[in-house]
Amino acid sequence: MSWLAKLVTWARIKSPWIIHFNSGACNACDIEIVASLTPRFDIERFGILLKGTPRHADVLVCSGPVTRQIKDRLIRIYEQMPEPKFVVAVGTCSCSGGVFNGCYNVMGGIDTVIPVSAYIPGCPASPAAIIDGVAKLLGSLQGKKPDEKAEIEAIVKKPLEAETSTNG
Amino acid sequence: MSALLLILFLILEFLFLGFLGMAVEFIDRKLYARMQNRIGPPWFQPFADFVKLVAKEDIIPEEANPMMFKLMPVLALTAVFTAFLHIPLWDSTPLISFNGSVIVIVYLLTIPTLTFFLGGWHSTSLFSMIGAVRTLTQLFAYEVPLLLSVLAPAILAHTWSIEEMSEFYSKNPLFALTNAIGSIVAMIALQGKLERVPFDMPEAETEIVGGTFTEYSGRLLAMFRLAIDMETVVGASLIVAVFLPFGLHSGPLIGFVLYLAKILLVILLLALLRTVTARLRIEQMVVFCWKYLAPAALVQIIISLTLNWIIK
Repeated sequence: MSWLAKLVTWARIKSPWIIHFNSGACNACDIEIVASLTPRFDIERFGILLKGTPRHADVLVCSGPVTRQIKDRLIRIYEQMPEPKFVVAVGTCSCSGGVFNGCYNVMGGIDTVIPVSAYIPGCPASPAAIIDGVAKLLGSLQGKKPDEKAEIEAIVKKPLEAETSTNG
Repeated sequence: MSALLLILFLILEFLFLGFLGMAVEFIDRKLYARMQNRIGPPWFQPFADFVKLVAKEDIIPEEANPMMFKLMPVLALTAVFTAFLHIPLWDSTPLISFNGSVIVIVYLLTIPTLTFFLGGWHSTSLFSMIGAVRTLTQLFAYEVPLLLSVLAPAILAHTWSIEEMSEFYSKNPLFALTNAIGSIVAMIALQGKLERVPFDMPEAETEIVGGTFTEYSGRLLAMFRLAIDMETVVGASLIVAVFLPFGLHSGPLIGFVLYLAKILLVILLLALLRTVTARLRIEQMVVFCWKYLAPAALVQIIISLTLNWIIK
């Protein structure tokens, strides 16, 4: 890699802007995604910002199975995002369709409609798991194995502390 | 040869302003985060955002006017940089100085807002059009108080040149204290000009998606963001030069440190305002600006006129 490509990869890892899209979830995953945006977890430490428009976003965070009605909208939102773009499926339903798999009004998981880069299972996925999943996605940008995280020390440490204090 | 040197100098100055703008964005975001009991972004965050946006794909909507769409970010950067050349930094002497430069600076700072409007309008998205109209509505609300509040010190100093104004106030520092109301008005108006909370209706992401910049992506968005960062520096420098002209003749090094400290003070106050308030509705903002801000600026002008009369 030339130094320019290295710089760009570094910048992409340090500044992932996300857009949140509900493709038919029951709202539990949405609440957890919103919770992970709160000052308690403070994901601006990692440069993550929530953006309102797909044009500004790098990561499309989807929750819920894809219903037949939302399919076209999901594809449209995905195609409005500028390259390079990534999709994160949050929750069991968006990973595989969950309990709704095979239902008459549901297409299945997010990957039946658009390509997905990271799957975060859980019903609902906890904020710590969501942040962990995004960290692994960023690690794959650095050419790491799927189960390794990006080289961001804070990302490994801080959510765990927050997690223990939430449970305790 | 001298033209080449001038171009080189201008490029260096542009890089300096860009660096300062990113530093100011980081300080603002960090202060905002700390006041919300968060840790906040790391120091390189604005730079990482900029590099990432530059390396991203540029999407120009089919319906948009490509020429205007591409031209507007460049124009915003140019106008802000031109305004910066008129503002004194560590000394009382700016690069370009003439009688009337105060008015020129205020008008040059209006151009970025107009480019936001035109860029949003020419991207032909519904959301960006709403944002563009709000930008222009806001312009009519805060522009008059800002101009009036900068006018009052000029009346007292009997000059339209920012250099002579700084000179006058650094000779008579007590007179600068009489401009307290004007400085508060100018700071609130600057918050409106920079489209930050509580005056961020043009890009209210919770109601109109991305506002003016909805359709902008990649390099063009990076330029707009850089222009806003630079505008923050230039606006803060204008307030510092007009309302806080202290310690101007203490050499370039101390003068520069003092200048940075003063800018930091202005940024701190702006970040504080951003933290303690929530977004207003557009008509609340217009009412606020015309009902309270403009009369306060007029009071400041009356104070300046009275002082003028007493001195004579």
